[in-house]
Amino acid sequence: MSAEPGSTGRERTPARGPRVRIAVCSPQVPFAHGGAEVLAEQLTDELRARDHEAALVTLPFKWYPGERVLTQAFLWRLVDLEEADGRPIDLVIGTKFPSYAVRHPNKVVWLVHQFRQAYELDGTELGQFGDDPESRALRRAVHRLDRIVLGEARRLCAISRNVAERLERSLGLEAEVVLPPPQRLDFHCDGYEDFVLSVGRLDRAKRVDLLLEALAAEPELRCVIAGEGPDRTRLEELARRDALDGRVTFAGRVGEAELADLYARCLAVYYAPVDEDYGMVPYEAFLSEKPVVTTADAGGPLDVVADRRTGLVVEPRGESVAGAVRWLREHPEDVRAWGRAGKTVAERVTWDHAIERLLAA
Amino acid sequence: MKVAYFSPFPPERTGISEYSELLVPALRERVELEVVPRGRTSPARADVSLYHVGNNPDAHGWIVEALRRRPGVVVLHDFVLHHLVAGLTLGRGDGEGYLGAMQRDAGVVGRLLAHGVLDGVVPPLWEVRPEDFPLAGEVLEHAAKVGLVVHSRYVLERAVAAGYDGPVWRIPHPAWRDPGATPAQLDGAPVVGCFGNLNASKRVPQLLEAFARLRESHPDARLLLVGASSPGFDLESRTERLGLNGVIREDYVDEARLWSLMAACDVCVALRAPTMGETSGTAIRALVLGLPLVVSDLGWFSELPGDVALKVPVGEREVETLTAALELLAGSEDARAAMARAGRAYTEREHGLGRVADAYAAALEEAAGGPAVREAVLTDVATAAADVGLVADGAETGELAERLREVRLGG
Repeated sequence: MSAEPGSTGRERTPARGPRVRIAVCSPQVPFAHGGAEVLAEQLTDELRARDHEAALVTLPFKWYPGERVLTQAFLWRLVDLEEADGRPIDLVIGTKFPSYAVRHPNKVVWLVHQFRQAYELDGTELGQFGDDPESRALRRAVHRLDRIVLGEARRLCAISRNVAERLERSLGLEAEVVLPPPQRLDFHCDGYEDFVLSVGRLDRAKRVDLLLEALAAEPELRCVIAGEGPDRTRLEELARRDALDGRVTFAGRVGEAELADLYARCLAVYYAPVDEDYGMVPYEAFLSEKPVVTTADAGGPLDVVADRRTGLVVEPRGESVAGAVRWLREHPEDVRAWGRAGKTVAERVTWDHAIERLLAA
Repeated sequence: MKVAYFSPFPPERTGISEYSELLVPALRERVELEVVPRGRTSPARADVSLYHVGNNPDAHGWIVEALRRRPGVVVLHDFVLHHLVAGLTLGRGDGEGYLGAMQRDAGVVGRLLAHGVLDGVVPPLWEVRPEDFPLAGEVLEHAAKVGLVVHSRYVLERAVAAGYDGPVWRIPHPAWRDPGATPAQLDGAPVVGCFGNLNASKRVPQLLEAFARLRESHPDARLLLVGASSPGFDLESRTERLGLNGVIREDYVDEARLWSLMAACDVCVALRAPTMGETSGTAIRALVLGLPLVVSDLGWFSELPGDVALKVPVGEREVETLTAALELLAGSEDARAAMARAGRAYTEREHGLGRVADAYAAALEEAAGGPAVREAVLTDVATAAADVGLVADGAETGELAERLREVRLGG
């Protein structure tokens, strides 16, 4: 996804140092397109905008069944990115598992996330590996692979404190936190209509069902859910079961203009995944001067959503989310003030800074 | 995943039984674990067996027998297993077994020496030269089929040098939690403590001599010696010969008393030469308590960071160096405090029980399912290669193999 330069009013700075030939590496789950893909595309665009020669390198990724997660990761190990078309590639930037398995003497990793099913999601309903010896060993092999391929990087960065802390906890590797700016959209504020917006891929980890529970608990609430994903059918069924028809709009995947418009009009944005890596959504909400409702276990969003300063942080229960949205509906001045405060926070996260840190010696 | 756990446990008085008593509850939080009753050598119903092997034939003979019946992950607490092997062979009237073990370790010369032992013309090698004939070959051979756990780089290097080529994990000795024991009432200052069996290999003669010199500059210093005297080691005559005062003596003590005595010390001395490759539970306890350590510059002890332990080279000038170390620590409260801080931080970082139990769980899971995973990955990759006509001995498949090795996915 690319957007017009300057559409958010942020400046782009030409490269100060020499022109660098950079391969940005990102896996691609065919037919899926989420925050990680947007990030890799944007990074490539922003590098080009600063006069670097940048290319996005992708490979398809399928993480099941069984050992497929390893063989698919291994594909990256076979990719030769030392040079292309007879000229050396100066730098590779790996992003999400398993793209950082790529070999290169000058490898920087901007870690979006590890293969979470092998780490903190193991043993939860979002995990993938069973209790049999082969599954356990498979999970350990992912750890070992990560330890090798992340350990060999010249420089390790992470997209959030949450991701950096997970890396430190799981593998003992330290990474510098380099926050990525949100996608370039025509973020603006057209006021505060009476609906809550949810943006993101519809899978269980995004926990959109909490928002539906909130609607069930509070008959006045309305929401728009923007995004597609494997959990959509279940969520629609929940909405039907709780007779939420008319108060919930499943907007599906929306275009850039429509997304910016939804942000511009909503009262607030709901974003409460389980222990999320980072999450662009709060920044996008802030750039639209909207407060964010999140939960105390949301992970990355808690880096920026400050309770009662830029949004509300509540317990991960439907009635708590309902209470938070009710409170916002009843306090429009605070909604505006927190939205403006959020905008100040989001505007500090720039591509100039991110690229300077990624290319630092 | 289920693990069968073979180890001595209290009331057996061995360092390894204390080790397992400490480790098992933490490991149980991570894997399903069955502690195998002492003496049961039949193969356990488990996904993987974990065998703790040390040099004491009474405590570990049955464990080696179980290992012979079903390979598993071996925790090699000592690299030198001569005493164990002698117990398993000569101790059971199996002279031929001992000859074979010695031949395996040291060729024809080893076999001839073993004959000398059998004939009574060579003194028992497990008493006089065990470090020259470690006899770890058989145990390492069984371990290579599944995996080996060592505590130190020293043992890892010796195992590899002995030809071990199986999976291996280095997992530090776990640290006990500081029980907050009330220090025992001991007169004098500083109090230098030495814990464990009293014998020549603990360098007690050198310690006595160095302590006598320390008393010249610190007449109130005390030397606390805790542990049973080994047969033939006459402590009394040695102290008399040195005209040494200030020695406080306690025989074997229980765990609570041990902590209380250690807490009363200002310095802990843990010397060892020759080393059998062991890790010292006493040294770990001392670090937990923030006691400055003085150790031999040998084996595992050499691997301790310089800011938590003063290291004394074995041999020439050993007594002088040891005296200088004791004088430094006796004379500087600041040095003792700095070592205490560093020691506590080091044990937390390197020997934390949770971290050690995590490492065991990882090793056991890799050992139990790792071969199947490697096989599955190799099959997947090899099938894809064969589908496009890459042959097993071609340059392209060589590249595949190299890349697989790099990330430890195959071979």
